[in-house]
Amino acid sequence: MAEEKVLDAGAHKVWDVVMIGAGPAALSAAVYTTREDITTLLFEKGVIGGLAAITDWVDNYPGFPEGVAGLELADKLRLQAERFGAVIELGEVLSIKSEGKYKVLDTTSGEIKAKAILIATGSDYKKIGVPGEQEYYARGVHYCATCDGAFYRDKRLVVVGGGNSAVQEAIFLTRFASHIDLLVRGDTFRASEVLVKELGRHKDKISVHLNHTTDAIVGNDTGMVTHVDSTHTTTGKKVKFDTDGVFIFVGLDPNTKFLQDSKVELDSIGLIKTNKELQTTMKGVYAAGDVRSGATMQIASATGEGATAALMIREHLDHMKQQLD
Amino acid sequence: MTEGSIKVAKDITIFTTNTCAYCVMVKKWLGAKGHSYNEVNLDEHPERQKDAFEMSGQLAVPVTVITKEDDSREIVVGYNLAKLAPAVS
Repeated sequence: MAEEKVLDAGAHKVWDVVMIGAGPAALSAAVYTTREDITTLLFEKGVIGGLAAITDWVDNYPGFPEGVAGLELADKLRLQAERFGAVIELGEVLSIKSEGKYKVLDTTSGEIKAKAILIATGSDYKKIGVPGEQEYYARGVHYCATCDGAFYRDKRLVVVGGGNSAVQEAIFLTRFASHIDLLVRGDTFRASEVLVKELGRHKDKISVHLNHTTDAIVGNDTGMVTHVDSTHTTTGKKVKFDTDGVFIFVGLDPNTKFLQDSKVELDSIGLIKTNKELQTTMKGVYAAGDVRSGATMQIASATGEGATAALMIREHLDHMKQQLD
Repeated sequence: MTEGSIKVAKDITIFTTNTCAYCVMVKKWLGAKGHSYNEVNLDEHPERQKDAFEMSGQLAVPVTVITKEDDSREIVVGYNLAKLAPAVS
């Protein structure tokens, strides 16, 4: 069992590299490091595969001409990393610090030592911060269509957002919902052309409302959502959208809160700053994927960054070894 | 809590859907801890959605229902190890 290995190893040895997160970036990096006999431990507090795993369908990842379910892609990445010996621990890293030549991670499984760290914690969907959003969370307000969409068979839904996730998940939700109002704050979509074209094929179920803000999510006495209050941004007209539920996909929030007291420098929105070797401001600590400042937030680029980070970590470990010899 | 008063889980039932990655994680975690469980797939049994909602008060999966030796129940919504770990111990 993976956990037994981890606890034993955590008590008795120093890992070559500990990867925080087990999404596409870390799993790809782990394929590279483990093939080089670099002992590799991944810590995942959420879903193995990250946001890719909760995405209904992935059409733009190379090697899958017909596309692939996000959950299946995540599982294949995991299997490939585990095939070469990567160990995945289901737990959370609470903080990191340097101690001599090693890094020390305070985790929910105890203290772990490593020669290098890769931070690939990705991002979570952002909250919009309107009245009702928190109050009706999981009782009408959702951030995971593949998880909770099934509760809305033959119901009306509102989807908020104009990017790839919002459009793709709105299309996914047509499997269940009788009708979807898609509220987009801007005057155009940020989603790719191909997705917007696909959206056009679902006009019978999805009504697009550009230039509409989401002002409040409103419910009734039984605690269920009944409608969304919105405003047309150019006319100022108030609009009410009757709905049974709201799915929100308005951008990403980086998972970097555990770094607040570390030497890893973040940018103004909380993404990790790195140099061209993907090393952070803390020596021996690298970052890859959606959590890195400048990342393009694509699964394909995350796996590429993971591979790059792995090669840089190998160099770092070689350098450490030379210093000790 | 004394050892004699520890409530051991005698039955674990998880409400899931086919596309729910968090459901996969709950099953993986329970399996890694050596717990067996029953699964109610709401895509295959949509008539059971009402049960999941009545027990959890939420329109979300996974819903894990832990029935203890004394027939008391704990219900954990989502993939939440901080709640799952003590609930099944």
